[in-house]
Amino acid sequence: MDNDIILEFKNVTKKFPGVIALNDVSFKIRRGEIHGICGENGAGKSTLMKILSGVYPRNTYEGSVIFNGEELILGESAIQEAGNKGIAIVYQELTLVPTMSVGENVFLGREPVERGSINWNILYANTREILEKYQLDVQPQVIVKNLGVGKMQMVEIAKALSEKAQVLILDEPTSALSETEIDKLMDILGILKSNGITCIYITHKLDELFRVTDKITVMRDGKEIVTELTKELTQEKLVKYMVGREMKERFPKAKRTPAGIVFKVENLQALDPNEANRKVLNGVSFDVRKGEILGIAGLMGAGRTELVMTLFGEYGKIIGGKILLNDQEINPANARQAIDAGLSLVPEDRKGMGLVLIQSILKNISLPNLDQFSSFFRIDADAELQASMLQSKSLTIKAPTLEVAVETLSGGNQQKVVISKWLLSKPKVLIMDDPTRGIDVGAKYEIYKLMNDLAEKGVAIIMISSDLEEVLGMSDRVMVMCSGHSTATLPVAEATVERVMALATGMSS
Amino acid sequence: MAISNQNMQNKPSIKSELFQVLRLNVQTYTILLALIGIWGIFFFTTNGTYLAPQNISNLFRQMSVTAFLAAGMVLVIVTGNIDLSVGKLAGFVSVVAAYLQANLWFKYLPDQPLLSATLTVIISLSVGSLFGALQGYIISYLRVPSFIVTLGGQWLLTGLILLVTAGKTIPANQPWFSDIAQGYVPIIWGWVFGVVAIGFLFWNMFSSRQSKRKHGFELGSIYIDLLSTSFMALVILVYVYNVNSYKGIQNPVLLLAITALIMIYLSNNTRFGRYSYAIGGNRDAARLSGISISAMVFKIFILMGFLSGVGGIVLASYVGYGTTAAGAGYELDAIASCILGGTSTLGGVGTIQGAMIGALIIASLSTGLQMMNVAPAWQYVLKAIVLVLAVLADVYFKRKG
Repeated sequence: MDNDIILEFKNVTKKFPGVIALNDVSFKIRRGEIHGICGENGAGKSTLMKILSGVYPRNTYEGSVIFNGEELILGESAIQEAGNKGIAIVYQELTLVPTMSVGENVFLGREPVERGSINWNILYANTREILEKYQLDVQPQVIVKNLGVGKMQMVEIAKALSEKAQVLILDEPTSALSETEIDKLMDILGILKSNGITCIYITHKLDELFRVTDKITVMRDGKEIVTELTKELTQEKLVKYMVGREMKERFPKAKRTPAGIVFKVENLQALDPNEANRKVLNGVSFDVRKGEILGIAGLMGAGRTELVMTLFGEYGKIIGGKILLNDQEINPANARQAIDAGLSLVPEDRKGMGLVLIQSILKNISLPNLDQFSSFFRIDADAELQASMLQSKSLTIKAPTLEVAVETLSGGNQQKVVISKWLLSKPKVLIMDDPTRGIDVGAKYEIYKLMNDLAEKGVAIIMISSDLEEVLGMSDRVMVMCSGHSTATLPVAEATVERVMALATGMSS
Repeated sequence: MAISNQNMQNKPSIKSELFQVLRLNVQTYTILLALIGIWGIFFFTTNGTYLAPQNISNLFRQMSVTAFLAAGMVLVIVTGNIDLSVGKLAGFVSVVAAYLQANLWFKYLPDQPLLSATLTVIISLSVGSLFGALQGYIISYLRVPSFIVTLGGQWLLTGLILLVTAGKTIPANQPWFSDIAQGYVPIIWGWVFGVVAIGFLFWNMFSSRQSKRKHGFELGSIYIDLLSTSFMALVILVYVYNVNSYKGIQNPVLLLAITALIMIYLSNNTRFGRYSYAIGGNRDAARLSGISISAMVFKIFILMGFLSGVGGIVLASYVGYGTTAAGAGYELDAIASCILGGTSTLGGVGTIQGAMIGALIIASLSTGLQMMNVAPAWQYVLKAIVLVLAVLADVYFKRKG
């Protein structure tokens, strides 16, 4: 077996304004191995990969990366360069052109050209060769949008391999896959390994790490904690490395005494707006009390975001069940009606759905609330400013003035703007869809404290999170969803990781 | 916008603050500088006649029809739409107005010029608004892309114009109606309007400073505010003096000024305006904030139709005829005015003020080149170069800022 080192990180440090994303990271990756990298959100895994793939060019970080014995220096058009050098990434968000065929996607930008025109026969033959060599079960001529997520991922892998990748980075590759698709992926990884391709496997799913990796690096708060052979690790050891000692302080605990039921959903059923006849919600029931935080747990595709968007009148067509607010049935047909009824939604996609990035903090905060300050022909600028300032102060948004465009703020501050905007509408029920996604640890803590404050003031909070620790750490009760329906609602004291996972995967307990 | 790293800590000197104000508004100033540059060049090439009262007077009247269209087009583009029908809609309205004036009223309301003109105006504005509503409905509620709907609208209107005119030119030069765009504001009233406008500028400046002080905001140097307000006041004074030494402010220019002010107010100080910019900035975020995008887009197209109606009336009254070619190509002038004035084709960004300056630039080029007797072929070539260069400069400065 070839024992040399293909990739080495030497004292890599990457700083963002106010955050150290990577702090003096050093470790080595052997040629031909499957090297797992794990850690919580914000541990620095993605930042590390962005350095490898050239999203952050050489001059934006300290330390060095050695690739095949030479320093990896990626400049301006670095992403292309990284590909040429043999480092390829299979992204979490798939980056294929859905309207093109598999072959076209695999050779996008590198089409075999003869006398100025594309030779389609060569293109498809080459595609087929790659697919067969690595036993990827896809047809070259199929249009990509007709494939399932698992197959799309295979196309991504084929694309990377066609570029003669020596190192293949898989970033949370299984987050959208079904069990059988995951098994298939594990097989593919084995085949890649036997073909001498080095894989970097990033995930927070421990069982997968133990299934396929040879070695594991654990990261936490931007630091490399340990790199060890997988066979010398146990799940318990790994969790201890990942969580560290600060686990206890991650969530500010508050003593709350929830009062009566404010919001209640009974056996809600709804159709997919994009695909008639497909039920996205199939029997969801839960309730939330005044001053309570209800966590919603579930795997990707369980219908959590679809549920809250439907409650907000902006997604599925309701075909059965009831939504009750203070014992009154409500049927919000759009966001305006939901807001007027007393709901607020901090959406999952902060930049895509929560904010108008090019506009100022002030305009973003006041946007859903302009009715409060307006007569037919005038917005009372003074009142608008006063209310917005009050909000931004109480949430400690860090910005020179409220006139600053939100696109210039950090993720945590952007999220605070979204929350401000929804608090100004004085909701009875505040729905937060993955409120701490992609923001740093400090800002997370502030948002947790804020949630506790709000609950104390009597707001009923519904929180979705894909981070199970967060759900368990913040909620009073946990509602678990599995393929469109609610499987159970547990008091947090009875909700263990194992039990929630069993309910989320549809195992009968 | 590049206002992220504004350092608010230490008290800046007036000079550095002035520099900063200029830098932050580089977009507005690029286009103003372009305008001044164009005027300067024509001033010399025409030995000064370009800026003579009569020509300034003509220049502003020439821009007015395009400017009415551009004032509405800003919001259309800001919400991520486009309207290719406005030129022909203005043309159609002008033909309808002429038809009413020359054929109907002449027959049924003889010797009632004021009543005739009033009815013409009401009907014309309704025609514009209705057509806008029709297109707006198809775009917003039936979800057909605005490009297609309004292109279809343009073709339809071309046909309608031919039907109404039967291929002939209809005279529309009756008293009262002609005065709408050919008349002048009496000299004394011109001065009154000028003085009122200047008073408003200073009042606005002081009240905005007061409001800032009330909320404990950082106040810019009063000298800079005074300087820029005084400059604006000076521009107004020079303009009024200049046109008053010919025949006075022209009615359509006064009408345009009032329209522009209303549109500026609408876009900055009302929910209607705020929602338009939010929709263009991020459609999904706007929708989740409770804004009905369909209703907003519908209303904006009605407003666009109404303003096309105003443009059409001015066009008919100014030209004195309804012709088969009326309004042809005006939509592109209006769109170009918006883009020159800093409206982003991606939506979410754009000002009425900018579009007005844009319209003025386009009119300035046309009149200047005509005065220099440049061959029409070269007029097009030069206009093309200026248009692209101006936007290129804008892109360049924005990237640097």
